[in-house]
Parts: sequence; C-alpha cells; structure tokens
Amino acid sequence: MLKHTLRSLFTLIFTALVGSIAVFVLLRQLGGDIVTVFLGRDAAPIDVSYMREKLGLNEPLVMQYLNWLGGIVTGDLGESYGMGYDIFDELVRRLGPTLMLTIGGLIVSIPLALVLGTYSAINAKKVRGSIVDIITQVGIAVPAFWAGLLFVLFFAVRLGWLPTGGYIPFREDPVKSIRLMILPVCALSLGVTSVFTRYVRTAMIDVMNEDFMRSAMARGRSRRGAALLHGVRNASIPLVTVAALQFGQLIAGAVVVENVFVLPGIGRLIVTATLGREVVVVQSLAFVIMLIILILNFLVDIAYGFLDPRIRDKEAANA
Amino acid sequence: MPDQSKELTQDTSIATKPSLGKRLRRLPITLYLGGALVTTFVAVAMISFVWTPYPPNKLNLTNRLASPGTAGFFLGTDRAGRDVVTELMLGARNSLYVSVVSTVVAMFLGSIIGLSIAGSRRVLQGPFTRLVDAGLALPGILTALVLAAKLGPGNTTATLAIITWQVPVAARVTIGPARQILALDYVEAAYGYGRTKAYVLRRHVLPNISPLLIVLGSVMFAAAILIEAALAFLSVGVQPPTSSWGRFLNETQSLLEAAPYLMFFPGVAIVLTALGFNLLGDGLRTVLDPQQARTGVA
Repeated sequence: MLKHTLRSLFTLIFTALVGSIAVFVLLRQLGGDIVTVFLGRDAAPIDVSYMREKLGLNEPLVMQYLNWLGGIVTGDLGESYGMGYDIFDELVRRLGPTLMLTIGGLIVSIPLALVLGTYSAINAKKVRGSIVDIITQVGIAVPAFWAGLLFVLFFAVRLGWLPTGGYIPFREDPVKSIRLMILPVCALSLGVTSVFTRYVRTAMIDVMNEDFMRSAMARGRSRRGAALLHGVRNASIPLVTVAALQFGQLIAGAVVVENVFVLPGIGRLIVTATLGREVVVVQSLAFVIMLIILILNFLVDIAYGFLDPRIRDKEAANA
Repeated sequence: MPDQSKELTQDTSIATKPSLGKRLRRLPITLYLGGALVTTFVAVAMISFVWTPYPPNKLNLTNRLASPGTAGFFLGTDRAGRDVVTELMLGARNSLYVSVVSTVVAMFLGSIIGLSIAGSRRVLQGPFTRLVDAGLALPGILTALVLAAKLGPGNTTATLAIITWQVPVAARVTIGPARQILALDYVEAAYGYGRTKAYVLRRHVLPNISPLLIVLGSVMFAAAILIEAALAFLSVGVQPPTSSWGRFLNETQSLLEAAPYLMFFPGVAIVLTALGFNLLGDGLRTVLDPQQARTGVA
C-alpha cells in the first residue's frame, strides 16, 4: 500500500512539474512577446520597458519560471494588469459558484448514472435497456450550453418556475441559492450523467458475467437481486476512476454553463481574462485548475487501491 | 492423400460467404443511422461551397427576425436579417473544417506518440504513459482558453486547442493494444528475421490497430464538433463574419424572448452531427472490432 501511495505521489509531482513547464513555455514563448500582446504594437518604449521590468521579463527564463512556481506554492499568483485584482484573492472569492455547480453535478449524476446504468445492463437485451442507451447517446451529443439555453427558455422564461440566472451565496439565503443552482446543475449534469451511465452499463454487463454472479444465482438469487447485491458494488469501482477523469470535463462544462447562467465563478473569470488577453491570469488559473485535477486523480488513485485489493496485488506482482 | 483434399474442397464450399445483401442487413443499425447523419452533414457542408440560398452574410434588413416559413426564408432570419438556412450551411462548413483538420492531425501525432511509447524501453514506458494520462485528465476547453489568451481567439486557436487535447487521447488508446501486439509471436519472428523496431511498428502493429484508430477517429470527430461549438459560443473560437453553430447560439441567447425558436436550429444541428459521429463510431466498432464492442466503453 505504501509503495502504491508513493508511486502515485511521484506521478503527481512529476506530471505537475511537466505540466507547469508546459503551461509556462506555452504562454511565454508562443505567439510573440507577452508585453506586445498586452500593450499593443504601438506602445511607447518606456511603457514596454516598465512592463518588462514589472513582469520580471528581464530575468533569465529559468528564474522567471522558478519565480512563478514559487509564487504558486506560496499562494501568490500575481495580479491582473487590466483589472488590478489579486489573482489568488479573486480565485478564492469565485470558488463558491464553481464548487456548488461541480459538486451539485456530481451529486446529481453519480446516483442517477448508477440507477440508469444498472437498469439498462439488467435489461440489456430488451427494448427498455436500449431506450436508456439511446437516451445516453443523445445526452452525450447535447452541448451543455444548449441544454442550459433550453432549460432557461422552458423553465424560466416560459413557465417562470425558476430564475434565469445569477448567484446568491448559500450562506446568505440557502433557498434562493439552491433555486438559482437547479437549472445550471441540470444543464451540467446531462452530459456527465450520460457518460457515467454508459460506463456503469458496460461495467455491469462485465460483472454480470463473473463467476460470483453465477454462484449467487445458483444459490437462488434472481438475476436482478444478484445484480443489485453484488453487481453494483463491483461495478462502482471503475466508476470512481471515471468520475475522477470526468472531473476535468465537469470543470470544462462548468466554464460554459457559468457563462450561460451568468454565475460569477472561476469559469467566467478565466473566460473574461482570456477575452481581455490577460496572459498572466489565464496562465495561473489554468495551472491551478490543472493542479486540482491532478490532485483529485492522485486521491482517487489511492482510494482505488483501498477499495479494490486486486489493484494493489496486481501492482505488487508487476513491480 | 486424395481423401483429405476432397474434404478440404467440401469445407470451403460449405463456408461460402453469405450474399452481399445478407451481409449488409447484418450490419448494426447504428452504422446506418450514424452513416446517414454524417453523410448529410458532410454533404451540406460541401454544397455550401457551391450553393447557399443567399450569399454568405447577405443582410436582408427589411426581413429581420422573420419567422420560419416566411416566403423566401424557410427557417426565417436572424437579428441582422441573415437567412437561417444559409447560416446553418456555413456553420456546417466551419464545423467540418475544424474537426477534420484537428482530428486528422491529432490522430497522426497521437498514434505516432502511442506507438513510440509502446515500442520504447520498459523503464521509459511507465513515466511516459502517466504523462499521457495526465494530459488526458485536462479539459480541452482549458487548453483552448490558454491558447486563446496568447494567440487571440479564432479558428486556428480552436483547432490547435482541439489537437492539443486529442493527442493524448489518441496516444492512450494506441499504447495498450500496440503493446499487446508487440508481445505476439510473429513480432518476435520478425525481429528474428532482422527487422528493426520501426519496421515492426509500421508494418505489423499499425495495420493491426488501425480498426481501433478508425473507431477512435469517429468518436474524436464528435468531440471536436462539440468543442468547436463550445469555443465559438464563448467567443473564443471563430470570429465574425465566419458563421458557426456555436456563435449562432451565442447570438440567440439575447433573443430568448423575441425569437426563442432561433436557438433550436443550431442546437439541433450540433446534436445530430455529434450523435451521427458517435453512432458511426459505435457501429464501426461492432463491425471492425467485435471483441472490443462487447466490453468496450464508448
């Protein structure tokens, strides 16, 4: 177990370092000078040199990189030049909507996917199962932003049941806050649930063919009983990995959905910064999001080892 | 041994291939459905080069926000008086352009990287595979935003972003099967015959994993179309005056009250196209790779 953890930790640090170099090089070297992007081609030379000094661009590239990395470790992400906010503070301030959205998405999609996936796996050869299958295929093809627009049109504009958009912190008014989140979470969950459901279905169909399922049925359990008692537990192990992998997709979805529903989250921040060509902000935000995804993957990797001893044994055998 | 040869001829006569019609009917329905949707999409995009109901970006200022069915405008017009059918056809063209370029490049680079990793020394395989895994975990939109911040929004940015995001996907899918094939006896035999590793990868491994790559390509196409639309929707992708389904949807966002029907058309176009490529991938998997189709995940 210790070996497994250490190996995962090493992977985390290794990939984070490579990723940080990639983001840094990409943003610093690609497509011309960062100051030109910012001040424009006709900027006064004195402004350019001041900006270069302020951004630390006169130092060797390695030092620039180390400074940036050091800043990230100590929580100093620099500040926005266009808007003047401190990037770290702004990130913390905007964490709320994004967390509510993504966690809400997981809370909705995982149980729903377990139910739908199991249902379609048990009924794999029947029409009922195929209908679930078709629905998930369509669900994957529906872009989150279009789903969001449709929900706004029907439930907000036409029926007037829910607000069209906006955000109120949960602490200020829990009821209103949740009402505002219902449509965004649904829009975000549609695609994610569909993907999860397909994974659960496949995992369940695999599990259904295992020997222990046959034994359970031989002992008198019905097909459905065996599936619910043994199948779901075994099939949910791969779902943990998929959920971690999909977390990146969830954040991507959140970026889009936040823009449909005007939620002041991290997704909106990064889009605004992108359109304002705030290279430093985007660089830092992108890396922080990447880091969060990698850390989540690391945690899942470890949890996976705990959940399923077979993984550990296999790795021990390979090593 | 005359008897045996007789038996053999009998065997082959029994195992004649079923007629073409029978074989066609045996193909999965997803293949036909997906194929039809994809063909329609490609055809519409191609036709837009030679014919659209109105010239691109023709503004019919007297007919702004005409409702569907108005004489001369089958699906109506948008806020600036552009014909919706024309806009949708041009949007298909842009979707096709971005997804073809990104998928082809990403498949090419990704499979080369995947093959190289699979063929590399054991010590190197672990770290490289994990690096690819990390790349896999990153959302494509994030990469796109990073690129757009530096390069500015546009079709090139969107294409580059989709490539950056899909290369790890293609590489990851290649590594496993390529390693399996590298462990087979005939590969050992090829080495014994004096073939180099590059030759083995090209002549033995690549043809054997190509069905897998074809299926992957179809699924990646669907993903590329969805990302292109999302980027255009966020104003980070293609810029005016080029038409795009995503940008069209962005414009309809402010017309939810005035012309709510407008948002259906580009949305349906995106869904049908992405669905078509996913179904086609599913169908191809069943035909080309039956083993994978049984256990694999879309």
